[in-house]
Amino acid sequence: MDCPTCEAMVESYLDSELPAGESARFEAALAECPECRGKLERLQAQRALIRDLPAARAPDLLRARIERELRVDTPVPVSAPRVWPRRTALAASLLLALGVGWIGGRFVGREGSRETDELIAGYLRVGLGDRPVEVASSDQHTVKPWFAGRIDYAPPVYDLTASGFPLLGGRVDVLDGRRVAVLVYRRNQHRVALSLWPASTAGNVAPQVSERDGFAIARWRHAGFELRAVADLAPKDMSLFASAVDQAIDGSR
Amino acid sequence: MGRMSEAPKPDGKALERFRIVMLPHLDAAYGFARWLTRDPVEAQDVAQEAMLRALRYFHAFRGEEARPWLLRIVRNTWSDMRLTRRGERVPLDEAESVVDVGPDPEQSALAGDRRRQIAAALAALPEESREVLVLREIEELSYKHIAAILDLPIGTIMSRLSRAREKLAVELGGRLGKE
Repeated sequence: MDCPTCEAMVESYLDSELPAGESARFEAALAECPECRGKLERLQAQRALIRDLPAARAPDLLRARIERELRVDTPVPVSAPRVWPRRTALAASLLLALGVGWIGGRFVGREGSRETDELIAGYLRVGLGDRPVEVASSDQHTVKPWFAGRIDYAPPVYDLTASGFPLLGGRVDVLDGRRVAVLVYRRNQHRVALSLWPASTAGNVAPQVSERDGFAIARWRHAGFELRAVADLAPKDMSLFASAVDQAIDGSR
Repeated sequence: MGRMSEAPKPDGKALERFRIVMLPHLDAAYGFARWLTRDPVEAQDVAQEAMLRALRYFHAFRGEEARPWLLRIVRNTWSDMRLTRRGERVPLDEAESVVDVGPDPEQSALAGDRRRQIAAALAALPEESREVLVLREIEELSYKHIAAILDLPIGTIMSRLSRAREKLAVELGGRLGKE
């Protein structure tokens, strides 16, 4: 076998695509051909580098969404009211399973903050629940009054459609033992959960965006409110969202 | 985004089979989508839509190997979604976003940095080279499966793979300061 012949076979050999007989012939030829040996070694080294990369792992939220699809796709008439308790129970058990996984696996330890756990858990209720919002409206004048009597402060509520984040509605959640307003916005097919409550410290703190496994979490203080936003968005989109919130609050004063 | 609601919905038995046959390949679907999109958030959208399509068309699955079947749908989904999203696409800015390389206490900072460079080199390749390399070296698929996923003759796969390896060697040489 001359060198052009064996060179043409190097990659097929590397990829285990040579028939057994050819493979043996190639190996014999390789012993006599330092150039092709060198090529094979370089290709093997390159392969080792690529295979050293960590394997991708689907984010938990993606997995959970697909699990949800596998359930929702069950041929049950969705309009029938009787399916609700069942679906809610399924969502709850899913949440519980996820929550345990998260708290056990990742969120404690790195940031260690109970607030982060609670924010993520709250976000999962928004992202996965059958009822992402308790009041569904894009009208801030409907959503804002809904909070009266449900929490002990009046949150600023603005529709941010002009900035690319339409308001979907609101809900009440529990964060660090107190009831807080959660506003839910949409960005393409992603949801953003904004929790906010009166700040106990004066002064503004600019939004800080951290990222965790596909979630972006923004924390900031503005106009007397502590704000936390969670979404499966890119950090830059989360920054856009935080700015849009601040501008809406400032624009109204 | 088309949700293919016109396709027949699988029954409970098919759902259970889908869960057993396809769901184990979600990591691969997401990983391939991540290399195609080079964006972890967009990759989630592509992988999710691909899984939904796979579910809708699961009746057409004839018991061949599941992972190549699913990856072909991922590739097609990305082709479709890219057309509608071209305006929103941001060019590759942070190669680190392609692969989670750290922080891993088991790994030295040096190893983490090296992996980042390798990921960046692979991410920097043109799509034609990137997809074929990922399918071969990361997914470890045969030429036959890669040809089916990319809908190309095996000869084309071989020549693309060869070119891709050369290009990657150049990229790696530039980044790792070798060759």
